[in-house]
Amino acid sequence: MLYAFQVLNGLGLGMIYFLISVGLTIIFGLLNFVNFAHGAFFMIGGYLCYSLVGWTGSFWLSLLFGPLFVAFAAWLAEKILFHRIYHLPHTFHILVTVGIALILQETTIMIWGPVGKNISVPEGLQGVVTLWAFAYPVYRLFLISFTIIIALALWYLLERTRFGALVRAGSESAEMISLLGTNIHRLFAATFALGVGLAGLAGTLSAPVRGVNPFMGVEVLGIAFVVVVIGGMGSFTGALLGGLLVGLVQSLMSTIWPEGASLMIYGAMAAVILLRPYGLFGRA
Amino acid sequence: MLKDSELLGGTTPVVAIALVLLPVVLPSAALATEILIFALAALACNLLLGYGGLLSFGQGIFFGAGAYLASLAMIHAGAGFLTALATAALSGTLIAAVVGALAIRRTGIYFVMMTLAFNQTAYFIAYTLDEWTGGENGLLDVPRPPLALFGATLADLGSPMSYYVFVAVVFLLIFVATKRVIASPFGSTLIAIRDNEARADAVGYNTKHFKIVAFAVSGAITALAGALYAMLLNFAPLENIQMSENIVILTVIGGTGSLLGSLLGAGSWVIISDMFAEVWPRWLIVMGGALILVVLFLRGGIWGGIESLAERISSKKGKPG
Repeated sequence: MLYAFQVLNGLGLGMIYFLISVGLTIIFGLLNFVNFAHGAFFMIGGYLCYSLVGWTGSFWLSLLFGPLFVAFAAWLAEKILFHRIYHLPHTFHILVTVGIALILQETTIMIWGPVGKNISVPEGLQGVVTLWAFAYPVYRLFLISFTIIIALALWYLLERTRFGALVRAGSESAEMISLLGTNIHRLFAATFALGVGLAGLAGTLSAPVRGVNPFMGVEVLGIAFVVVVIGGMGSFTGALLGGLLVGLVQSLMSTIWPEGASLMIYGAMAAVILLRPYGLFGRA
Repeated sequence: MLKDSELLGGTTPVVAIALVLLPVVLPSAALATEILIFALAALACNLLLGYGGLLSFGQGIFFGAGAYLASLAMIHAGAGFLTALATAALSGTLIAAVVGALAIRRTGIYFVMMTLAFNQTAYFIAYTLDEWTGGENGLLDVPRPPLALFGATLADLGSPMSYYVFVAVVFLLIFVATKRVIASPFGSTLIAIRDNEARADAVGYNTKHFKIVAFAVSGAITALAGALYAMLLNFAPLENIQMSENIVILTVIGGTGSLLGSLLGAGSWVIISDMFAEVWPRWLIVMGGALILVVLFLRGGIWGGIESLAERISSKKGKPG
């Protein structure tokens, strides 16, 4: 029973990791751009949840506007800065986004202070339900169902719509779809906003569970990297399976060895790298 | 211009003069020591990034490990000053070789991501082993024993100035040694790998082997810097491990591919942090902005900027009337 409880926890955690990593992956796939500020945008999503809940009193409004605001900020950053450096080698993408992450982190401390904040679980999702033989928090069940719906919607968007077709075609050859008459600048900016918005959404959703602090960006970025190293960059399925695997490993290990649960994530990555250097789903 | 290729000429006298001037110009010898310690870390990062093309966000692992292991050797095993430094350098070499060997199994962005992930691993290891590392509180009461060789005390390093002199000598030795490494066939091969790994591989070099050795050398220097830092502060904080990002930033701002740039980067970093620390604790925003500006407009960093400025001036002078 304890394991069923932890499997559910791992599922929720894994879906959050999926949301973060899939954003990173979509951006890399289409734009060939490495976003080291991804974790910082996740953090901003969490802090916006804290402030919006404080102002409006409604978690639902913050769930809508928090990620939208993060997506808008990303769109703006793409328009002003990032599109200028697409042509440079990856090292420069990394350095510029590291700079952005640092600025976001310090700005967060300026606005919200260096100490973390807790966000109460929204009304209506408080309390527990009894599943089989154990009690499970309602909010976590909501989190699992909501993220599954988002994942399905995202899959639909990428696989069944014109926008998704352009993103996938652009990932193969951005130049070609540009020649075929697509306004690639708009497509790039929209994709960037979508990918970062997903990180913001993950930040908002996980805020009531884990709280927020100014240094969570780096931690989350590290986990997203583990997911994409395991699952492969640029792959929706890889992000999903990698995210779930990492979430389940972390959650199950926390019953066996609580202090080492975070450590095991990285252990899993090292093991994958030793056995299959190109990831579980990657090609050489 | 000043070339890094001449061992004792070129940039070496400039560094020697800077080492003499630093404690005179700066308000305290401790501040000057801090600059040299971060310059060592930047030098090691530069060796990987500027010459090997390997962007490592794992330098904090070696910095932190050096600080912890030198401190633990002194606290628990009664190690002397030089033994503690040797312990740090040796363990830095080994840890960096292992981390490097794992991370270079992938190239490009995956490599960079893995160095960051390993850095997180090291952070959690140090956090978990709080009986040894002090966890979040850090390792307190790190001693700074006198400099002794075979039982004979050579110098008491208790005063900030005497410690500065020792660190300055270490810095100069490592600076010259690193120049030597870069000018050696090993260094040339490293640069060849940076510029075109597939070609270096095709010519017959075992590129993985070279990268691992580069990591080991870089790890040794970084761990040494970490040990010196712990003895400067008498304290080994957990945040040492999170220093990776800062090390990369000050290396890039100083100028990649130039060892003097590393000293300039560390100098500006430490001086700016010292100036702002009291007035405006969020000064890291400035460094984040500076990093972006360097990437956009001044790819060679501060040193690159000075070089191109000097070239412009000398070419103007060269033109007849």
